[in-house]
Amino acid sequence: MKETKIKTRDLTLYYGAKMALNSISLDIPENEVTAFIGPSGCGKSTFLRTLNRMNDLIPTVRITGEVLVDTLNIYDKQIDVVNLRKKVGMVFQKSNPFTKSIFENVAYGPRINGINHKGQLGEIVENSLKKAFIWDEVKDRLHDSAMGLSGGQQQRMCIARTLAVEPEIILMDEPASALDPISTAKIEELIFELKKNYTIVIVTHNMQQAARVSDLTAFFYLGELIEYGKTKKIFTTPDKKHTEEYITGRFG
Amino acid sequence: MERHFEQELDKLNKRILKMGNLVYDQVHNALEAILTCNPELAQQVVDNDYQVDKLDVKIDKLCQRIFALTQPVATDLRLIMSALKMNNDLERLGDLAVNISAKIEGVCEYKEILTELHFDELATMADLIVKDVINILNTRNTTFVKDIFVSANAIEEKVQAVSARILDEMMHKTEVIVVATNLMIILTQIDRIAGYSTNIAESVVFIVEGRMIKHKNPLKESAAVLPPNPEPEA
Repeated sequence: MKETKIKTRDLTLYYGAKMALNSISLDIPENEVTAFIGPSGCGKSTFLRTLNRMNDLIPTVRITGEVLVDTLNIYDKQIDVVNLRKKVGMVFQKSNPFTKSIFENVAYGPRINGINHKGQLGEIVENSLKKAFIWDEVKDRLHDSAMGLSGGQQQRMCIARTLAVEPEIILMDEPASALDPISTAKIEELIFELKKNYTIVIVTHNMQQAARVSDLTAFFYLGELIEYGKTKKIFTTPDKKHTEEYITGRFG
Repeated sequence: MERHFEQELDKLNKRILKMGNLVYDQVHNALEAILTCNPELAQQVVDNDYQVDKLDVKIDKLCQRIFALTQPVATDLRLIMSALKMNNDLERLGDLAVNISAKIEGVCEYKEILTELHFDELATMADLIVKDVINILNTRNTTFVKDIFVSANAIEEKVQAVSARILDEMMHKTEVIVVATNLMIILTQIDRIAGYSTNIAESVVFIVEGRMIKHKNPLKESAAVLPPNPEPEA
C-alpha cells in the first residue's frame, strides 16, 4: 500500500442548515488515482472541493473535522490558501482558458509566483504542455489565442496550466464529461501517465471511466461515504448492496 | 418500469436454464438407453444434439451483445461471464451424452456385463449429479454445492473401481475386449459428466457470492464450506 497523501477525519459540511457531507473519513494514497462516484447531489464534488478549500468561497458553508494533506491540516488558520492551491491543483468540468495566448495561459501561474525570466518560463510552458500530451499539437502556435483550440485541447491545456505550478495533487471534477470519445480517451491516457508523479482525485458520473482510470473508488450517497476500496473489487464484487445497485444502474 | 437491460438478463437466465434442462434430458436419455439397451432412444439423443448446439450459439451471441452494448459490472458482469462458461460446460455435457449413446451397440451385445458391474448404480449417480446441479443453477441456492463435490468424488471412485474390474475381465476373457473397451469409453464420459457438473456448481457460487472456488476442492476446506474469496489479482 502506498503512503497516504490526503487523510480526512470526520469531515462534515453544511450548506446553511443542510448537511451535505456526513462525517467522511478516508485515506487517499500517493501517486494513485482515486475516483469518487455517486448520483447527483451525493456530495462527491463538494467533498472534492474541500480538499483544496474551494468551498471557502461559498459564504453559507460550515465545515467540521479534518483534512490532512501530508501531515498538514489544511483548515488550520495559519494555512495560506494560495500556497495550498498551488500544491493541490484543480481541473474543472468545463475547460476555462483565459482569453490569452496558449503560452500566457500556461505561464500565468508561474508568473504570479514571481517567475519572469523568459527562458525559464518557456521551459516551464514547454514541459507542462508536453506532460499534458498537447505540445505537438500547439508548439507552432503558442502565441495564438487559447480560445481557438478545440474543447479537448483546451482541457489538456488547462491541465498543463495546472501542472505549470508544480502541484503534488490534482483534483479533477468531471474533466471529460463535455468531451467527445477521442478527447476523453486522451484525457484518460493522460491521467494514467500523470499518476506516476501526482496524486489524482477525480469525480466522474461515467462509471466506465472510473473503472478504467482509477485504482481506488469511493461511492457516495446522500452525503455519506458508502463504500471505499480498490476499483477492481468495487466493480466486480462490491461489499455493499447499495454500491452494487448503483454501479449496475438499478438506482440513482 | 423494467429496463431493457434487465429484460436482456432475464432472457439470458431463461436460455441458460432451458439449456440446462435440455442437456439434463440428453444425459438422462443416454444413460437410460444404455441401461435398457434401447437403440431408438440412443438415436434420439444423437438427433437432438443439434438443439443443444443451436442454443449454445444463441447464448454466446446474447452474451456477446450484452457485453458490447451494456458494459456490465459487479453481479451482472459475474452473471454474463459465468453464463458463457456454463454454456460451454453444458454444451460439452450434451456432447458426452451423444458419445455415450454412440456406444450402445457395442455394449448391448453383452448386456449381462452391465448387470454384473452394477452399471445401473453408476448411471443413477451420474443422472442425479446433473439433475442436482441444474437445480442449483435454477434456484441459485449454493447451500447444496458441497453435495455436488461429494457426488463427484463418489462417481470418480466408482468409475475407478469399475474400470479396474473391466481391466481384470479383459485380461481373462479376450472375447469381451470390444465390449469392455466401449464400456471404458462410457466410464470416461461419466467421469467427465461429474467434472462438468462441479464446474457449473463453481460458476453458480461465483454468480451468487462473487467467490472463485475453481481449482480448489471445497471438501478439503476445514471450517468453511467454501473457501473465502481472495483479493482480486493484479
